Amino acid sequence: MSTAKTIRNWYLVHKWTSLICTIFLLLLCITGLPLIFGEEIDEWQHPPLAELPADTPHLSLDRLVEESRRRFPGEYVRFAGFDEHEPTAYVTLGPSIDADPELNHFLKYDLRTGEVVEQTPPGDPLTFMGLMFRLHVDLFAGLPGELFMGFMGLLFVIAIVSGVVVYGPFMRKLEFGTVRRERSARLKWLDLHNLLGIVTLVWALVIGITGVINDLSTPLFGLWRMTEVESLLTPYRDKPAPQHFSSVQAAVDKAGAALPEMEVISVTFPDKRFGSPHHYVVWTQGKTPLTSQLRTPVLIDVESGDITAIAQLPWYLRALELSRPLHFGDYAGLPLKLLWALLDVITMVVLGSGLYLWLKRRSTMEARIEKLARFEAGATPPLEIAS
Amino acid sequence: MSGGKKSRENTFWQLWGAPIVLALLTTFGLTAALLGTGAWHWSAWTALLVPVAVCAHYSLRDTSRG
Repeated sequence: MSTAKTIRNWYLVHKWTSLICTIFLLLLCITGLPLIFGEEIDEWQHPPLAELPADTPHLSLDRLVEESRRRFPGEYVRFAGFDEHEPTAYVTLGPSIDADPELNHFLKYDLRTGEVVEQTPPGDPLTFMGLMFRLHVDLFAGLPGELFMGFMGLLFVIAIVSGVVVYGPFMRKLEFGTVRRERSARLKWLDLHNLLGIVTLVWALVIGITGVINDLSTPLFGLWRMTEVESLLTPYRDKPAPQHFSSVQAAVDKAGAALPEMEVISVTFPDKRFGSPHHYVVWTQGKTPLTSQLRTPVLIDVESGDITAIAQLPWYLRALELSRPLHFGDYAGLPLKLLWALLDVITMVVLGSGLYLWLKRRSTMEARIEKLARFEAGATPPLEIAS
Repeated sequence: MSGGKKSRENTFWQLWGAPIVLALLTTFGLTAALLGTGAWHWSAWTALLVPVAVCAHYSLRDTSRG
């Protein structure tokens, strides 16, 4: 294939992938902005915890689970977990063991006093942040929505790669960072589009790729659940549903003792879809910045309270775990979040200017590409590729 | 100094030098923030501030003096 044809093709790839995904990417950038600061917004909305001596003993998770069941008799406790930054624990309940997870609601307790410090009412009323989250993740369409957004992310990644390829011919004679403001608005925005796009290239690429991987989390966890967890559960296949639950705090302590270099973050109660019908799945994570992103689940027989298995997550779930911080930007304090927000805004300018360029002067752009393509192919140099 | 068009074509490094350096800085910043705290975080923040500053510098500077 000739050079001219190659450039034309890459430009077409850039144009079409961008056109399809831009509106959704703009939505992702807008909704992503408040999501970056989710923790801060949450802290700001809720009063700080009571000041108590640092060595105040913590309540047993059993007490909090019992209290939650007392408040919502007939409901099923599905998850419990600890906050990484403050002495609180949450207990998540749902209407039944196999109810739609959207009907889940939680109570957050002060681990020292047992006081409820935050709770969401049952029935999934939509909060502002909940709205942002759903628009960002699945457009209120569940798994098909997640996969659709993942596909938009994939188009975004292809648009970035093809954008880099056409950056070369565009900048053949221009100094890096050139923004020609004097000629026309379109030319100015073309230069800005090229500049901001190439400068934020790696960040946008990482956000795009990790976004796609995050959108695949449901099928990836499902795959693990159906293969590796299923094989761990073979001895339980014909067992009836557990008749009584042993202490969840004891399960947490046992998992913590078995993995002294890890800390327990949450427990999935017996559940067919997300865990095991016969086990507490105790999730642990490492204590260093990197290993705190990597989790190890411990399966504890819910009747006997004994460890059945310490599972190792497969490579695709490791990739998913690393994709989370790299997408959320929440792994190095507030300065990183602010940088994330700035890069998000710059990406919006790249998207918006791309859309503007397409709307404004479709024909001019095609003529320009034609010229650049012919020039690349060794024809007479263009007299004026700029206008 | 307004940048702008040159009479000669860019060499490879004139064309790709700045994008490559910025790509390396971004990669370093994203990774450093994941590997440690303290000095690692500071170097990550600094590295990631560079592309943001480059965007601000070139898109906001006044070139009318040419």
